[in-house]
Amino acid sequence: MEPSRTDYFSLGEPKPDSMKLAVERRRATWLLIAPAFAVLLGLNLFPIVYALYISCHYWMLARPQPPRFAGLSNYQELFFDARFRNSVLVSLKFIVLAVGIEMLLGFGLAFVFNTRLPGMATLRKLTLLPSLVMPLVVGLVWFYMFNENFGIVNWFWVMLGGTRVPFLTQGALALLSIVATDVWQWTPFVMLVFFAALQALPEYVYEAARIDGLSGSQIFFRVTLPLLRPAILIVLIIRAVDALRSLELVFMMTKGGPAGDTEVLPWYLYTTGFMSLDLGYAAAMAVLMLALVTILSQLFVRQLESREVTP
Amino acid sequence: MTVGLVRNKDLKAGVRRSAAAWPIGTLRYLVAAIFTGFCLFPFYVIVTTALKTETAIFAWPPVWNFKPTLQSFYNALFVFGGRSAISYLINSVIISAVSTFLAVVLGAMAAYGFARFSFAGKRHLAFWILSTRFAPPVAFIVPIYLMVQKAGMLDSHIALILIYTAMNLSLVIWILRGFFSEIPIEIEEAALVDGYSRLQIFWRVALPLVRPGIVSTAILSAIFSWNEFLYAMVLTQSKAATLPVYLAGFSNSMGLAWGEYMAVGTMAVLPILVFTFALQKHLVRGLTFGAVK
Repeated sequence: MEPSRTDYFSLGEPKPDSMKLAVERRRATWLLIAPAFAVLLGLNLFPIVYALYISCHYWMLARPQPPRFAGLSNYQELFFDARFRNSVLVSLKFIVLAVGIEMLLGFGLAFVFNTRLPGMATLRKLTLLPSLVMPLVVGLVWFYMFNENFGIVNWFWVMLGGTRVPFLTQGALALLSIVATDVWQWTPFVMLVFFAALQALPEYVYEAARIDGLSGSQIFFRVTLPLLRPAILIVLIIRAVDALRSLELVFMMTKGGPAGDTEVLPWYLYTTGFMSLDLGYAAAMAVLMLALVTILSQLFVRQLESREVTP
Repeated sequence: MTVGLVRNKDLKAGVRRSAAAWPIGTLRYLVAAIFTGFCLFPFYVIVTTALKTETAIFAWPPVWNFKPTLQSFYNALFVFGGRSAISYLINSVIISAVSTFLAVVLGAMAAYGFARFSFAGKRHLAFWILSTRFAPPVAFIVPIYLMVQKAGMLDSHIALILIYTAMNLSLVIWILRGFFSEIPIEIEEAALVDGYSRLQIFWRVALPLVRPGIVSTAILSAIFSWNEFLYAMVLTQSKAATLPVYLAGFSNSMGLAWGEYMAVGTMAVLPILVFTFALQKHLVRGLTFGAVK
């Protein structure tokens, strides 16, 4: 694609008036961008600075004593906090499992749907539906389906010859059940991104590959896969960041149990801040989380930047 | 424009014309059908549970044939221990609508600024705005809670409206920026020659041309505000509490009121399904910030 011109003011601009026009132009730029900028300054940048400030204090909610400066002791405490370490580990497990399965399934399914067979487009459009459903409702319905006594998942399981399983209260199974729920909601999205990326691949590349005598698997590994790399990275980063922040499923289905097996980092942060009311400590966790997310978002930005046509 | 050319069906790659041949085609149908069924099944469970009687909800084995009743909907809306879902529903509608309106207005303005004006630091500003998309609410909830508390705005509509506006701005700005720069620049140049001011061009010429983009981003913003749980949970009690706050109360119902909560869940999800379907063409573009079209 040729780079689109971002500025039409250099063109057809009457020279004698240019001073006046330049002023009008600067005022227009300012008027257009300032309001959004102000909102983000107040509700994104400021809270980050404020979180840093809070994290350096003993700051208990609903206590008469004022917050007391604590230096880095909240961070120090985090370092030795086994529960924090556990929550980071659980989050990591959750992200790797959920996003990993979603990527693999979504990738494979994109190829299944990438055909002109009649009716496939309709099926594909129906799979869209989970993507935007309220996460709390997703948690509610899967909580119901995973129920040990009357859940439909258990019914299927028993039909297949198993015995009833306490999916959400038994050790490792609880986390896997939440992973399965996340996979249900997000595999279609991953699939659709890959599908769109496949559709955008130009045919001539394949013609060239065939002329060069590449076999089917060679075409896949040397042509398709490299061309899909940007899409793979983009969807991977989006999913990882969103999986890291998600706490609705845990809230609805397990509340972090059994014995901390599903206590993901956001859930530990939330309970520290708003059940134990230890805001300073929660803010320290928030700052670490933000640092991690910033790294991930920078990777995303790089991806997008490299494909940007306009500066 | 080149975009139109690339979308031409004949250029699409990876489509095997021989795919219809047995057994590959049949296999494709089978896998696609199973996956679609898997995607749709939980919706069936939500709606049918909302329509079941209490005995049917707790039945083992699960009941497939039952006489639907609207009792659960009635309970959730009008009875239910003084905790009617109606006010939550109204709050959700108000807060999503107003925050979407604000995000789209402010976002469209900024998007146009980014698409058509050059100024110092523009690139950095644009990518900083993009990075706010990744801000996890849970990492912001402590400072935001204290800010809202100090402003005396706990349990108020305006606090959630502002927060959701900020939450959706990056989405609106990035998607619409893409749409604006796809407009042939000559149209705006012609308007400039005709004596329109820059802001008039934005309002009267450019904005109407990106209507599909506006509609898509508005729908996405509205859904994100509608679904948001954490800020609503922490910042509201009753006066401004939204549907997710209502649903969060399930934990206090001792796992008994399945029908009522599924009824509210149905009401929370149905509008989203309609909008998702309306959105389909722009969904991927929207959710990947225009990175994949």
